[in-house]
Amino acid sequence: MKLVIDETRCKGCNLCTKICPYKIFKEGKKPNLRGIVVPELDRPERCANCRLQRLYGRTLCGVCQLTCPDQAIHWEEEQPYEPKKVAIEY
Amino acid sequence: MTYEDWFRKDRLPHIYCAGCGNGTIINCTLAAIDQMNWNKDETVFISGIGCSSRAPGYIVTDSLHTTHGRALAFATGVKLANPKLNVVIFTGDGDLAAIGGNHFIHACRRNIDITVICMNNQIYGMTGGQGSPTTPKGCFSTTTPYGSAESPFDLCELAIAAGANYVARWTSYHVKELEKAVKVGLETPGFSFIEAMTQCPTNFGRRNKFKEVLDQVEALKTHALLKAKRDRMIEQGENIPDDFFIIGELIRRNRPAMGVKT
Ligand SMILES: Cc1ncc(C[n+]2csc(CCOP(=O)(O)OP(=O)(O)O)c2C)c(N)n1
Ligand code: SF4
Ligand code: SF4
Repeated sequence: MKLVIDETRCKGCNLCTKICPYKIFKEGKKPNLRGIVVPELDRPERCANCRLQRLYGRTLCGVCQLTCPDQAIHWEEEQPYEPKKVAIEY
Repeated sequence: MTYEDWFRKDRLPHIYCAGCGNGTIINCTLAAIDQMNWNKDETVFISGIGCSSRAPGYIVTDSLHTTHGRALAFATGVKLANPKLNVVIFTGDGDLAAIGGNHFIHACRRNIDITVICMNNQIYGMTGGQGSPTTPKGCFSTTTPYGSAESPFDLCELAIAAGANYVARWTSYHVKELEKAVKVGLETPGFSFIEAMTQCPTNFGRRNKFKEVLDQVEALKTHALLKAKRDRMIEQGENIPDDFFIIGELIRRNRPAMGVKT
């Protein structure tokens, strides 16, 4: 599963940049077509919920999704053969 | 099924300002409701007027968006007419404690089997930032331009004194705890009151030196004092600063309730 920010819903409040324990959300730099500076994802493969929600059959963490006041954060199925990076935290 | 299925997706994004905490509270409430295995046709959301009270409009179930302050009066009617329904109320601090104050204490006294989620942003958000009964001392609003001189209401204390069966307070920062508290509230027969302290960057934050949304959330986080810690501090004779508020489960009891599903 992969983490996605829905650009049609995000209002750019940056709350997600504060609450993720892995600091996956970073303040964005460029406004999008709607004039909103959507946060960027910094190596989202590190998110526990991306990696393990299938295996555990439940949401792990998920704090960003609950906190996002605009319901813009969710997880999507990856396309077949989508390039994937494996990040290892030391 | 996830809690996202409870949203009316065609109505999103909602009208709340960027960074408004109301959306977070709706997420937490729906996440708790989703775990209850409730039938959508047997669930009703009721609200009064205010930014917070717009919440039921974004939820797929039937709802009543009533007059200012009267959500609890309508909810009492719905629940007593048909105790089979699960009734959840979204309300704001102005809606619940100012114009609806009397309905609030009497709903607690009757201990009707409903769950009330109060999004307390300490101000009238919708009408442009007038002071509410929960605006803390010294805080600025359009009606308190030199800082509020009045003592604010503690809504949880009020609910406990008036007889509610379950009372808890969390903030928009404590999402997981809030979700759990709402779930316990939904499960508890009788009147359950959950106060969610939340940020209103547009009207409260802007006037009270919170330049960014994050600043106000940080302030909510640092001024929240866990009940257990408060009790310990009192035991040790420590002084609790005036601007702190208590979070956690404040009461759970079993007074006789009305309108409980049989
Ligand atoms: C009878 C009546 N009086 C006054 C109003 C104006 N009014 C609309 S919303 C509101 C305040 C709402 O404040 P609160 O409940 O704190 O909700 P918030 O917008 O802060 O979420 C007021 C006074 C009204 N709509 N109806
Ligand atoms: S689920 Fe938790 S770890 Fe994963 S991105 Fe969200 S806040 Fe970060
Ligand atoms: S005015 Fe305040 S409470 Fe209303 S939507 Fe804006 S931030 Fe939220």
